Amino acid sequence: MPTIMSSAPFTQAPIPEPPRVITTKDLSYLKDALSWELDAFKKLHSFAQQATDPEVKQCLDKVGRMHQQHYQKLLTHLQHNNTAVMAAIPQTQSQQQQPQMQ
Amino acid sequence: MPNQNQIANPQSAQLPQVKGPQMNDRDYMNDCLTTCKYLADSLNVAVWEASHQQLHQDFLQILNETHQSQREAYELMFRKGWYKLEAAEQQKLQQTYQQFSGYSTQFPYH
Repeated sequence: MPTIMSSAPFTQAPIPEPPRVITTKDLSYLKDALSWELDAFKKLHSFAQQATDPEVKQCLDKVGRMHQQHYQKLLTHLQHNNTAVMAAIPQTQSQQQQPQMQ
Repeated sequence: MPNQNQIANPQSAQLPQVKGPQMNDRDYMNDCLTTCKYLADSLNVAVWEASHQQLHQDFLQILNETHQSQREAYELMFRKGWYKLEAAEQQKLQQTYQQFSGYSTQFPYH
């Protein structure tokens, strides 16, 4: 709406949703989850080899495979181009002022 | 006289009668179950801390699949007779129903 825009000329449109950026916090949780998943599927693989009952073997193997798939899925989030996404995000006023102050 | 409230399958004959320090099939399944439960707990935190939608969605899906695996492992253990369940007494059930249905005076929605 033009009237609102003109009454606040310096405010930009808000970022509609959290952008597709891996934050520092996301990275911590990804690292943790990847470590747990790796531990889980290595252990389950070893258990499946040692178990005697075929049903138990099959169950352990299935769960182990699932954890490896989860690991691979989480890994894709680390191949993300944060720089490109950040470049497209409008900078806040405080960030824009920084170069002028230097 | 057997306990009327007990629910359990006969234990699988696969396990050694005298158990040594080595891990057996039941130990493997127990560890599998514990691992899934621990992971689900941790993933749950990751779900509510995730920043953007796609990451949230992936963590949530992984959490859901981990729950399903945990359930499958538990069901297998139950079939093998490694889990005993006990039905609550009917009287206790009724008492608790009386107690909590009595709280309806506190309900704000009608």
